[in-house]
This record gives sequence, C-alpha cells and structure tokens, in this order.
Amino acid sequence: MKKALLVLFIVGLALSFGFLLGCAKEKPAEEAAEAVTKPGEGMYFRLVTHGGDDPFWAVVQQGMRDAADELGCRADIDLAGGDLANQQKKFEESVASKPDGIAVVINDGTAWDKPVADALAAGIPVIGINNDDTEGPAGNKRLCYIGQNERRAGYMIGLAVFSAGKAKGVNMAKAHVAMAAEVPGAAYATVRALGVKDAMAEFGIKSFEMIDAGGLEMTTVESRQTSYLVAHPETTFMFGAGGICTDRLTSSLKNAGKAAGEVLAGGFDAAPGTVEGLKTDFLVASIDQQQYLQGYYAVYTLYLYKKFGLTPNIDTGGYLITKDNLGLIEELSGTYR
Amino acid sequence: MQGSKSKLTYSEGLTTPITFIAAVLIFAIFTPNHIFINPRNLGSIAKLTPDLGIVALGIGILMICGEFDLSIASVLPFCAYIFTLFVKNGMNPFVGYLILLPIGAAFGLFNGVLVVSTGLPSFIITLSTMMFWRGLLYGVSHMMPISILRYVPSESFFARMLIGQVGPIPVQVIWFIGFALLLGLILHRHKLGNWIFATGSNPQAARAMGINTAMVKIVCYMIIGVLCAFVSVMQSVRLGSFAATQGIGFELKAIAAVVVGGASLRGGVGRMLSIFLGVFIIQIVENGLILMQVPVFGVETFIGIAVVVFVILNNFLYRQASR
Repeated sequence: MKKALLVLFIVGLALSFGFLLGCAKEKPAEEAAEAVTKPGEGMYFRLVTHGGDDPFWAVVQQGMRDAADELGCRADIDLAGGDLANQQKKFEESVASKPDGIAVVINDGTAWDKPVADALAAGIPVIGINNDDTEGPAGNKRLCYIGQNERRAGYMIGLAVFSAGKAKGVNMAKAHVAMAAEVPGAAYATVRALGVKDAMAEFGIKSFEMIDAGGLEMTTVESRQTSYLVAHPETTFMFGAGGICTDRLTSSLKNAGKAAGEVLAGGFDAAPGTVEGLKTDFLVASIDQQQYLQGYYAVYTLYLYKKFGLTPNIDTGGYLITKDNLGLIEELSGTYR
Repeated sequence: MQGSKSKLTYSEGLTTPITFIAAVLIFAIFTPNHIFINPRNLGSIAKLTPDLGIVALGIGILMICGEFDLSIASVLPFCAYIFTLFVKNGMNPFVGYLILLPIGAAFGLFNGVLVVSTGLPSFIITLSTMMFWRGLLYGVSHMMPISILRYVPSESFFARMLIGQVGPIPVQVIWFIGFALLLGLILHRHKLGNWIFATGSNPQAARAMGINTAMVKIVCYMIIGVLCAFVSVMQSVRLGSFAATQGIGFELKAIAAVVVGGASLRGGVGRMLSIFLGVFIIQIVENGLILMQVPVFGVETFIGIAVVVFVILNNFLYRQASR
C-alpha cells in the first residue's frame, strides 16, 4: 500500500511539473488570437544540436523561441549532450515527424553527409547551424550555414591579444601560447586553435600548447588551468577555447599568482566570469559568437526558404568584446549574449 | 583476538595516510623544480579541493552505510540556483544560507525516503533523481548563468567567511577540516556512527539489534543534502555566479575519492580521516600529473591509471596489515 502511494506520489509530482510547464507556455487569449494572423502559422521547425549541459544553448534556444513567437510558428530544439549517435537518432526522428524544416549542427565532416542528403531527398529542407562541414557546401548538401566562422574567430581573438602583447613590448620570438579547451579534440577547439595559430604566424610566435581543461565542471577547469600556469611560468599568452575555460581564466590567473596583464589572456563568449575578467584587465578581449542569432535566424531562414526559397549564409560571429564595449554585454550576459 | 583486531584497525587506519604521503613525495620529487610543493600550488589545491571534498565526506558516510547517492551532481547546482534567487530578490545572504541548509536536507530526505520505501538499489534511485532534478533545474533556469557578484561582493564579510584567507590558508580548507572533524566524531565517537557501520556491514543483524536502519539511511542522505547546500553557496561565491554546470561529474569523482580513501563499495568499512585524505589524493594526482607535463590528450588516462594504482596500493597495505 505504501509503495503504491509512493508511486502515485511520484507520478503526481511528474504530472504536476508537466502541467506547470504547460501553463507557463500557455498564452493569454488575446495573444493567441493575434497569433492567427502571423505569417508562420501552422509551420513547425526543429533544431537538432549536439548541445547539452551548457548555458550556451539556452541562449540559442531563447533566439529560437523569440523568432517562433514573432512568426507564430512552432519550433523545438534537441540537445544530444555531445553524443553524435544520439544526435543522429534525434535527427532521424525529426525527419520522420516531417517538419517544415530542420536546422542541424554539422559537427562531423562525414557523419552528416548521408542523413542530410536523405532528408533533402525526402523534401525536408535542412540548414546547418553553429558548426559546419569543414569543406562547407562542398562537403555537405545543407542548404546554407548560419554560425560563426570558427577559424576567423580564433584569428580575431589571437590578433587582439597578440596586438596587446606587441604594444607592451613582448618578445614574440620567445612567447609561449597556451589554449585551454573543455573538450580538446572537439571541432570548435581544433578550428579555433587553427585561427589562433594563423594569428601567431603573423606575429612570429612559434610555441603553442593545447590544454585539456577536463570538461564542463568549473572547479575542475579552474584547477587544471591553475596547475598549467604554475607548471609553465613561460606562458605569455593564454586563451580559453570555449566559454567555460574563458570564464575561469581570471580566477586561474589569480590562483597562479599572476597580476592583471602579466599573462595576456582572451577567449570566447561573455559568461559572468569573463565579463569580470575584462573589467579587471585580466582578460584583453573575448569573442562573442552571438549564438542568439543562430537560433533566431535558423527559424527565420527555414521560414523564408519555405515561403520564398531563400537560403542565406550568415556569419553570426566575430563580435570583439573589450573593456570599452562591456556595458550592453554585461547587462545581457547569460540571456541574449 | 582483541589484540589482533586492534592491530588490524590501527594498521588499516594507516594505509591511506601512507598512500597519501607516497603521492605527495612522488610529486614533490618528480615534478620539475619540485614545483608541486610551491606554496602557490599548495594554496591552489587547498582552495579548490574542498568543493568536491566536503560533499565526498558525506558520500563516504553513506557508502559506509551501504548506499550511494549520484544525485549530488544535480542537488548541488539546484541549491546554488535557489540561493541565487534568494539573494537576487533582496534576501540577506546569511538568511538565505540558513534557509538553504534545511532545503538541502529536504533533497536528502526525498532521496532517503525513496530508497528505503521502494527497496530498490540506491544507485538506480539516485540516478533517477539526479536526472529529475537536473531536468527540472534546466527547465526553471534555462541553463542561464546568473552573476551574484553584485549581491554578494567578493570583499563582503559573507564571501570572506566562505572563500577568504586566514593568513596564507584558504578558508575553504578550514571548513573542509571542520566538517571532517565533525563527521569523524559522529562516525567514530557517536552511537549514530555505530548504527551506520552496523547498517552497512549487516543490515539484517542491525535490525535484529533494534537499529532503525531505514532512519539511519535517511539521516545519511540528509547529511549529504546539507553538505551539498553548503558547498553550492561556497562554490557560487567563488565562481561569482550560478552556473547550471556546477557539480557535473562530482557523483563519480566523489565515489572514486572515497574508494581511494579505503572505504568499501559493499559498505561497512571506512574511516573519516582516510576519506578526507582520499579526496586530496585524487586532487593531488590530477594536479601532479599536469605539473609533470603529461601529454594533453593523455591526462584522463593517466588519472585513471593513477587511481587504480593507488587503490591497489591501498588494498595491498590493508592485506599486509591483516596478516
């Protein structure tokens, strides 16, 4: 009897939660009436991503929701938690549900070739977001790509940080560059590192090392970055390859006994720790890939393709954040930026 | 008989400290320029280890009691989120903290009641609650980081109480030592400790002796909940924000630390000092390997090997002591 009551309690709890979420999504009557007149009425789009336990994707989702609200269409996002097989399964499920369009993160150079081609052959428009095939349109048949050009972003942050070093009179021939990545082998880290190396070549810097920051858990990331800085006092420049590593850079530098500007640092995104680092001069700059736009434009592009056959390629990235333009970023960090 | 038992207990208690000293000596000698014992490095270990360590102390007690709790990886960030909402809405952080601790206990109560009332393996139950709380957290927080620096400035008394320095010593490690002492006293000097060991080693016998094993387990889960609540705030104040990724991976890392600290996965065996040192061994191995400049893509592999080696060493010393 007790067990039955307990099971009922758990089921009740789950249903209540579902009900609460449902209520949260419910629109007032006048808003619902207004939605009838919106241009995307009746359309359904799906974003299939490799995202997971990362605030980055919450911002993408926010963009998707805003665009769907504006157009009056429905849109959902799948977060596969970095599991390619799971992401492909979700993609197949999406295709089977026959949506009006799919935006997929093409995070593998070959694995997405056939699924995307098959979906297109079945009459479902597919566009790429966030990550693209390394060969671009030559490597994958997706209709277009919306996201940051990662190599250019790496190059831009390298350029900003190395320029600051040059202005300080750093001896570039002896400089050592370290780049901490949450997932060192992942495409984002590899390609951004290539961009940083492009900038290194321009400044005549030769020494580079990638650091395994140990995942998404912030204390682990901070601990590993600190250990590296302690073990490598020759580090002149340091980058976070992703938002979490960049967020923890300032604390890591402080832990290792570095003063602001002693190691010239930079990275990606605008998490609270990154904003603090920019304000206190521990970070020179950060690149905001404006991921809100990746969710927002994905929905709009699929809608425009459905209506008019338009397939624009959009580079959302490359917004350089420094101490001078922090105001708006700080205000919107974690929500729209 | 009594004499040999005392000898065994005494020697058993020495195996993890010996392993700990071995780890320290290895890295002190073999890291370039003996950088492992650089005060800056030791300070960083002392500052960052307690996040996992304080929670692992509770996991250790629970494992001695014969159960697991994987949900810490979600309860911790959930508590951080609740605290962030408190201070964001103008609540005094001290008041928020005092309210949060019983909320943490309630998370533990929920787990404990589920485990004892269903009779299902705690590994499965807490795996489910881990996913449940994480899903709920993502739903309500949208995974958005929230800065708390403007509500709890790093120079405030509240922040200094949790993440400040006493001379060269980070406050975090003092809290860690304090919790280890308190829980050590409960485990080894209080009747609740006896009940925990009895429940973990032979629950049927414990029940026959009149011990309410269900209540003992629930109390252990509640202790973990309180520890998660405590660490969640300590960590958030240090990070300067709530992040939905707080605590990810802690569930298995804490179990690894407890096992390295000599506790048995089957329950009934363990010592608080050893668990305390086990946490440090895990952190020291990770730190030392990076200082020894192991290849970037091999760090995890080396850590895995090192953990196995230290567990084998620990078991070897234990068997030697048992002879």
